[in-house]
Amino acid sequence: MQRFDLLSLRNTFEKQGIMISFNGYFSHTVIEQLGEAVKKHLQSDEAPKNRIKDVFSVFIEQAQNLKNYTTREDIKLPAEKESRSGTLIIARNEDNYIISSGNIVHNDDAVLLREHLEPLLGADKDELKRLYKNQLREPLRDDGGAGLGFISMARKASTPLHYSVKELDAETSFFTIEVII
Amino acid sequence: MEQLEIIQSKSTPYINFDPETGVFEIGGDSYPENSHEFYTPVMEWIDQFLEEGEKPILLRVTLTYMNTSSTKYMIQLLDRLEDAHNDGRSVEVQWFCDGDNERELDTVEELKEDFEMPFNIKNREV
Repeated sequence: MQRFDLLSLRNTFEKQGIMISFNGYFSHTVIEQLGEAVKKHLQSDEAPKNRIKDVFSVFIEQAQNLKNYTTREDIKLPAEKESRSGTLIIARNEDNYIISSGNIVHNDDAVLLREHLEPLLGADKDELKRLYKNQLREPLRDDGGAGLGFISMARKASTPLHYSVKELDAETSFFTIEVII
Repeated sequence: MEQLEIIQSKSTPYINFDPETGVFEIGGDSYPENSHEFYTPVMEWIDQFLEEGEKPILLRVTLTYMNTSSTKYMIQLLDRLEDAHNDGRSVEVQWFCDGDNERELDTVEELKEDFEMPFNIKNREV
């Protein structure tokens, strides 16, 4: 018996329109390489330039968030190495591209993520622009600060951002964010 | 002052700031692994240049992509140039965009809104 059920993996990808996926440790090199692949793939998909730009931009913000969070030394995550890996997909359905990513977060950080994201969900274009401009001149934070990245994603999305927090145990949750373009 | 020259990589832009001509060029994609590490020497160079003389400045931008943390540094750079302009120095920004890409134009138009100094958006050959 084969160890990997590639057919079922493939069926999942096909059914959900997943074009690009990565699961594992997000290093800067991985982000650069995936970034090049994303651009080439979208060009060959004959996506309009605006779209390519938005998808690439949201991909970079999500991938760098994953990398910044999973490599932070001050975050106490379980010792297993999966806790420091991230999952990211870019999918296409008929009219839209979807960029979605997920990683394990500490429950305290899940609270912070909600605080960052909730105000963005109901905000209209003008409000998002105002939030973006305010945040641009905020002092830079050592941890990279995902706040501006989320606002930027919300501004590029054609529908409000979707996020989820699924509690895994008393310490950790699985956080996901989905952006539709 | 020495010329500031940084070679382009996939995720970091090309930078060539010439203290003799006052022409500052920056181009390419900008999403460094650590924006703070990448841009701190650039900001320090600018601060020293601004302090040392009165030469006119021309900033030529041909960036194709900036992530959000790079955008923060670009704002800091433009704020410094705006201050120099307000102090009576000759400053011009030329920002080259892909004219076929509305999104790129919108982003730069929006950036321009916050500044009074001469800020010209031009068409980039793609």
